[in-house]
Amino acid sequence: MLQNQNRPKTFLVTGATGFLGSHITANLLSAGHRVIVLARSKNGQTAKNRVLQLMNWFGLKKSECTELTVLEGDLVHPGLNLEPGSLQLLAGQVEETVHCASDTSFSARRRKQVEQTNVQGLINLFKILERSSTRKFHLISTAYVAGSNKGLCREDFVHPAGFNNVYEETKLLGEHIAAEKCARSNVVLLIYRPSIVYGDSTTGRTLLFNALYYPIKTLRFFQKLYLKDILENRGNKAEAMGVSLLEDGTLHLPVRINGTGSSWVNLIPVDHFVKAFMAIGEEKKAEGVFHIVNPENTEIHQLLKYITQYFHLSGVRIAGKDTFDKKPKNALELLFENYIRVYSSYMRDTRVFEHAKTSRFLAGKNIRCPDFTYDVFSTCMRYAEEVDWGRR
Amino acid sequence: MFSEKIRKTAAQCRHYAMCKIDYLDTGICSSGKENHFVSHFPQGRMDIYDALAKDLIPITQGLVEIVNSCDLCAVCDTQCHFVTGMRPVQVMKALKEHVQDFISSGKKPVNVESDEILENLRMIVGSRWAENDPAILVAYANDPFPLAELRMPGYVALPGSRDEVSELVRFAGSRKIPYVVRGNGGSVFGFVFSDGLVIDMNRMKKIEIDTENWTALVEPGVTSFELQREAVKYGLRANTAEPAATVCGNIVCTGLFSTWAATYGVNSDSFVDMEFVDHEGEIFRLNEPDAPNSFCYQNRLSTAPGICTLAHVRLHPTTNDEEGLIVPFSGFEEAVDFAAEMNKRRIGLALGILGGHYLSTFMSPSADLADKVRSCLGDTLGIKYALFMIGDRFDREAVSSLREPLIDQELFRMFMLGLPGMADTEWIELISGMDGDNPPFETILRPEMRPLLDAVLNPSPETAARAVDEDLRDFYTELYSRPEMTDMVWLNMFRIISARMSRKKHMFAFLIYVPLNRMDVIKEICAELKRIADAQGIENDFGFLTPIDLGKRAILEYDYYIDHQDPEEKEKIRRALTEFDPYLDKISASTKGVKLLKYIFSQGCARKEAFLYI
Ligand SMILES: Cc1cc2nc3c(=O)[nH]c(=O)nc-3n(C[C@H](O)[C@H](O)[C@H](O)COP(=O)(O)OP(=O)(O)OC[C@H]3O[C@@H](n4cnc5c(N)ncnc54)[C@H](O)[C@@H]3O)c2cc1C
Ligand SMILES: NC(=O)c1ccc[n+]([C@@H]2O[C@H](COP(=O)([O-])OP(=O)(O)OC[C@H]3O[C@@H](n4cnc5c(N)ncnc54)[C@H](OP(=O)(O)O)[C@@H]3O)[C@@H](O)[C@H]2O)c1
Ligand code: SF4
Repeated sequence: MLQNQNRPKTFLVTGATGFLGSHITANLLSAGHRVIVLARSKNGQTAKNRVLQLMNWFGLKKSECTELTVLEGDLVHPGLNLEPGSLQLLAGQVEETVHCASDTSFSARRRKQVEQTNVQGLINLFKILERSSTRKFHLISTAYVAGSNKGLCREDFVHPAGFNNVYEETKLLGEHIAAEKCARSNVVLLIYRPSIVYGDSTTGRTLLFNALYYPIKTLRFFQKLYLKDILENRGNKAEAMGVSLLEDGTLHLPVRINGTGSSWVNLIPVDHFVKAFMAIGEEKKAEGVFHIVNPENTEIHQLLKYITQYFHLSGVRIAGKDTFDKKPKNALELLFENYIRVYSSYMRDTRVFEHAKTSRFLAGKNIRCPDFTYDVFSTCMRYAEEVDWGRR
Repeated sequence: MFSEKIRKTAAQCRHYAMCKIDYLDTGICSSGKENHFVSHFPQGRMDIYDALAKDLIPITQGLVEIVNSCDLCAVCDTQCHFVTGMRPVQVMKALKEHVQDFISSGKKPVNVESDEILENLRMIVGSRWAENDPAILVAYANDPFPLAELRMPGYVALPGSRDEVSELVRFAGSRKIPYVVRGNGGSVFGFVFSDGLVIDMNRMKKIEIDTENWTALVEPGVTSFELQREAVKYGLRANTAEPAATVCGNIVCTGLFSTWAATYGVNSDSFVDMEFVDHEGEIFRLNEPDAPNSFCYQNRLSTAPGICTLAHVRLHPTTNDEEGLIVPFSGFEEAVDFAAEMNKRRIGLALGILGGHYLSTFMSPSADLADKVRSCLGDTLGIKYALFMIGDRFDREAVSSLREPLIDQELFRMFMLGLPGMADTEWIELISGMDGDNPPFETILRPEMRPLLDAVLNPSPETAARAVDEDLRDFYTELYSRPEMTDMVWLNMFRIISARMSRKKHMFAFLIYVPLNRMDVIKEICAELKRIADAQGIENDFGFLTPIDLGKRAILEYDYYIDHQDPEEKEKIRRALTEFDPYLDKISASTKGVKLLKYIFSQGCARKEAFLYI
């Protein structure tokens, strides 16, 4: 964990029950800061229990969380549904705010809900902070606010011509709202734009199995399903899908993924994100937009190679549109098509994220984004399997 | 000694009389079949155990006979479990043990004296068919209706013929004995109770099918299930709703509405003629020119024209290409518009929009699985509403040319037999992760997905049976091996799964006729009933909506769910009543086409036109 170079401060963190928010909370606490988090209760668990359980995941015992205060609240309500005492606490003590909470759904069906959290929620938060002592606002945004822009995406405020989904649209709107509110009340604004975050590059540990993990998890689901069918039930169902078990134990899973080999994904491990965030956040003079991205993109066919090698799969391949004209999609391909459609702007990226400013700053602090090698991939997959993709 | 756990099970009996019909083809309780009194059926025995435990009745001679007539065959265990999830045989055992202990301790059961009224009743119906023994009477004393208390009758009589009914009425009239007629008590609205005499029609069970006319003559003890079973033998179909409801009682009471109402209509559409014994004991038929006019409608609480002793009901032709179909929707308005359009275009024999609760509950053999499936259907797949339809080949072709994807019979069977797989965590995660712009069902239900669904769900009777307790699995495996158990047409004709909707809690249903072109009114009624229930902390949900009369009107059901044994829940309903009653009256008075079933009760013979268009 990072050591605090500066005096301990009081932070408000939203989204502390999420992937990045929990990492940030744990790191701020470890660095000796006082952290007030805004969290929701869920599935019969209180907000406090949820956050404490997560801190425990980071190895922080209850006794190490004495500087942690959990306030139960929800961004979508004016006043965040906070009790008057909590409001007072925020007004009097918060010096810096880290806003990680977000609805990360890409679905147009959920537009209203996404807007409520990402736009109205942010406005509600600023309303509370207006009366507080916050002097610095750390906004966790995304590199994909670049929307439908092509080519180089600037490490600055952007005005894309369009968006691939409601998430990008509301995240960008959030940046503009934050800029306007911070300017008006003289609060320093730092906008962090990570690309796609995966697990820890050295341990593979992660809390979230979406984005990069989802298609792999899906392949793994079908691998197990058809293996079971072949090994325990004569394999009729596998045969119906053209799935077979090769002699060397490889499962042949014929899935054509619509796309071209010349696209890529930009992946950063969560340990890098946290290091970068802490370093930038602590920097007194830092201000503006920071692209926390990987200078090296990962080609899709490279990723596919990793997957098939690690899981002993064959038959999964990138295919051009014309192959589908010849042979229509099967069920597995239809599922993937759905996924690809949603994540196409991320999985078929041809955008390049400008990162000179952030990279220069991080280099000065000896922070470098680890490469997405087969070793790193294997470490992450080993962990994913160990915890049954987050179910354990 | 009474076990409180067993008593609680006994007290949870919903009184839907499902144990009185042989709906699983396992046979029914032999004692009930032979003795006809409710007290001899598992349902009555549940009441008896509860009443004994509460010290409401003594151990009587009659009770000993009831107990002795149970051989613990356990038929009721599977029958009851299928719809309620309960296992009544533990109650039967406990009841037997209690009475045996009582007798072996040397105590004597109470011998209930006869009296002059009972003697007279016995003269009319035969000595075996009239009773005043409290153990027998207690099975006629209540139902789960939350706004009424236990009401013990003085007597119960089971007439065997129309003339006996007439004599009973005359006798009761001459002695000023209040009386009430009981079909199977499945109205569960506190209707079939009296301090005086209960006339139970269970012995009058004749059915005569007229194949030339496509009609049937039905006596008042015949249930919808039994009539349907008979009609099917001749390739015909009866308009039926709840299977355990008596046909006569159902027509008189609610006007018999169901998803078939989309084609077969409601109220007087169901019958050719009805025979009644009036309050003076006189016999008349509705079609006689000087009969009381029961075809009219008055917008107030009213009573039936008498006791129906014979219904001459219509039967309907069937074709051998009928199949069920489910059209999924993510939004209510879209579903309602589509259903209205279907009915307007005369597409579909049976039509009904179901909410997620109904759909998942109907399909699931256990309440736990139903909850998971509901969440999978609604939250994961995005199926918030579904239009259920029975149609012939042309109907189904028409629907599939208008909308895709659909759940056809093949897929429905796959779902029913693979239901535990549908609730599988990994599968649910996979679909949830799709996060697309369209609801996931649009992909998952596509025909190309079937081989994959087949692998994921692994549908088979054994898989379906995984949802129930281990000791029941063989039984369920065998049951689900029968094609009719997963056939939408059969299931909708015999309706054996509808009582499952009260599996968790008793259902307090609001039934309202609504104008189908007034989406605003339909939505407002649902929203207001929801608001009232939410304010009292009552579980509530949309039930179903069936278009009728070529899409001009619809029957809307909205349900409140309450534990009828919990005094607090009863109190909640009481408080809610002060809001929903005036609200519904007001909207009914101010909006054309809104009519409350509350007033149609007992005017089931009325022409639908007499109330739908005023
Ligand atoms: C789970 C469930 C679902 C239901 N769904 C529907 C539905 O979809 N459609 C529908 O129409 N109903 C439905 N009902 C209501 C129920 O089926 C009807 O109320 C039906 O009338 C019950 O029949 P029964 O023989 O049990 O009548 P009872 O409850 O015994 O009697 C109902 C009323 O009719 C009177 N009555 C009974 N027999 C006669 C007779 N021979 N002559 C004159 N009056 C008589 C009784 O005095 C009483 O007032 C449902 C009930 C349940 C429990
Ligand atoms: N992970 C990535 O790859 C990635 C990449 C780029 C940018 N980002 C950005 O990083 C931030 C964190 O993402 P994440 O991956 O950590 O997401 P996450 O795991 O989904 O966490 C989201 C957090 O937001 C909270 N939240 C959502 N709606 C809320 C509301 N109405 N009120 C209060 N809290 C609410 C959630 O609380 P509950 O737990 O109660 O739901 C959760 O704590 C987001 O702003 C996201 O846009 C993430
Ligand atoms: S166990 Fe007793 S009550 Fe149940 S069906 Fe058999 S005989 Fe009837």
